[in-house]
Amino acid sequence: MEKLLNESIRTQVRDVFDNQLKQPVGVLFFGKKDDCDTCADARQLLEEVTGLSDKLTLEVYDLDDHADAAQKYHIDKAPGIVFVGNDGDQMIDYGVRMAGIPSGHEFSTLIHDMILVSGRDSGLEQKTRDELKNLTKTVHLQVFVTPT
Amino acid sequence: MLAHMMAMESPLVEAEMVEAMEFPDLADRFNVSGVPQTTINQGAGTVVGATPEDYLLNEIKRALG
Repeated sequence: MEKLLNESIRTQVRDVFDNQLKQPVGVLFFGKKDDCDTCADARQLLEEVTGLSDKLTLEVYDLDDHADAAQKYHIDKAPGIVFVGNDGDQMIDYGVRMAGIPSGHEFSTLIHDMILVSGRDSGLEQKTRDELKNLTKTVHLQVFVTPT
Repeated sequence: MLAHMMAMESPLVEAEMVEAMEFPDLADRFNVSGVPQTTINQGAGTVVGATPEDYLLNEIKRALG
């Protein structure tokens, strides 16, 4: 199978990961067998990207075969991606998700998400952190994007 | 992405980036025309474009009522 990422991109991403990844990150991929035109490519993309650092691990799930896992991580669409902190014994779910293949412009979001979760810190201003502590209800944010 | 950063910070926040062309029904449901569009709690709030932290925070607070 031809690689999705060329050598130049792989080298650049490997360097970024070497410099910026801190703690291990688990990438959980949810695919499905039918009606998912981008599932195969999304899975391959994640295999190639996670292969660029020892601090990244990939777990592959099927939305239907692994319905429990899908429910646990609130995944209802494929391809679905969850980024968790991999602390050896446990996976820390920060609520960071993607739906759809992160290609084009969204490829950098994919890389940044891995670095974000590896840092185990939001990077937000103190004021924002303080305000978020006052939340009492759940917040579900869906950010619609396109690759171009 | 700001929404993902907020998810990192608060256990009550979950943030999903959604590729609109692959999920057109969902994008239609929330009247997505310009991207990025941030939909809060299934349409309780909407933010179009990239915004600073305090702007999104205020929209979240408004959406929660």
